[in-house]
Amino acid sequence: METKHDNLNPQQSLELIATMINQVKGNMLNGSFYFLLWGWVITFCNMGMYYFFKYTEYQNYAPMVWTLCIPAWIITLIYSSRQEKKAGIVTHLDRISMWLWIGLAITILPSWIFGEQTNWMVNAIVLMPVGMATFLSGIIIRFRPLILGGITFWIAGTLCYLVGPIEQYLVGAIAMVFGYLVPGYMLKKSNQ
Amino acid sequence: MLAELDPLLHSQLRLGIMSILMSVESAEFTFLKEKTNSTAGNLSVQLDKLSEAGYINIEKSFKGKKPLTTCKITKKGIKAFEEYVNALKQYIKP
Repeated sequence: METKHDNLNPQQSLELIATMINQVKGNMLNGSFYFLLWGWVITFCNMGMYYFFKYTEYQNYAPMVWTLCIPAWIITLIYSSRQEKKAGIVTHLDRISMWLWIGLAITILPSWIFGEQTNWMVNAIVLMPVGMATFLSGIIIRFRPLILGGITFWIAGTLCYLVGPIEQYLVGAIAMVFGYLVPGYMLKKSNQ
Repeated sequence: MLAELDPLLHSQLRLGIMSILMSVESAEFTFLKEKTNSTAGNLSVQLDKLSEAGYINIEKSFKGKKPLTTCKITKKGIKAFEEYVNALKQYIKP
C-alpha cells in the first residue's frame, strides 16, 4: 500500500475503509479450547460428586473434586494470553467475550465457596448464569450449537430444583456434555 | 462549503491503518503490515506520524526475545476518523 494521497478520491477512501474493516472481520479468537477444557473438568467434577455422595461414605471429602478448577483456571489464563499474542489483534468482541466469562466466574464463585450452606446444590444455582454466558457467546460468534447449549443449561438448571440434591450432579454432568462438549467439538471442527 | 479532508488521514496507508484500528481494541505491527500489504519501513514511518499527531498510541514491549509493537487508536484518533468520514460523505452526496 502506497502513502500517496493526491490521487485518492472520496469514493476510493470509502472503499479502502470498507476493505480494511472487512480484513478484521472473522478474526475472533477460537474459543473451542475453553469449552472443551471446562466441559471435561466440570463433567468430571459433577460425576465425582455424584459418585462420592451416592456410592461412598467419604461425603465430606467430595467437594474436594472442585479443586480441579484451580489448574483449569491457570491453564485458561496461560492459553488465553498466548492466543492473544498469536492473533496479533484483540477485537472488541474478544474483549466482550473475555469479560463475559470473567463476570460469570465472579458470579458463581460464592456458590462454590459457600456450597455447604446450600447443601452443595451448586448446579441449581450455577447452571442458569452458565446458560446465559453460553447463549450470549453463541450469539456473539453466531454459532447455533452454542446457542442451543445455553438453552440446555437453562433447562438443566431448572431441572436441578426438581430432582434430589445428589441427582442434580448427574443433571449437571449431562448438561455439560450437551452444553459445552458437543458445541465445543463442533466449533473445533468448524474452525479447522 | 465542503469540509477539508484531514491530510493526515487522506493517504492510503494511514487511512488503512486507522480503519483497522477503529475496528479492533489493539493490533500488532506484524498484523498491520500483513493487512495493509505495506513494507516494515513505510509502515513504521506512517505509524510514527499518526502517533505524533496523537491519533494512535504505540506500545513497545517484548514477546520472548522479539520486540513487539502494539498499536491502539486514541480518543483524538477516533474523533479525527469520524470527522474524516463525515467530510467524505459531503463529497459523495449527489
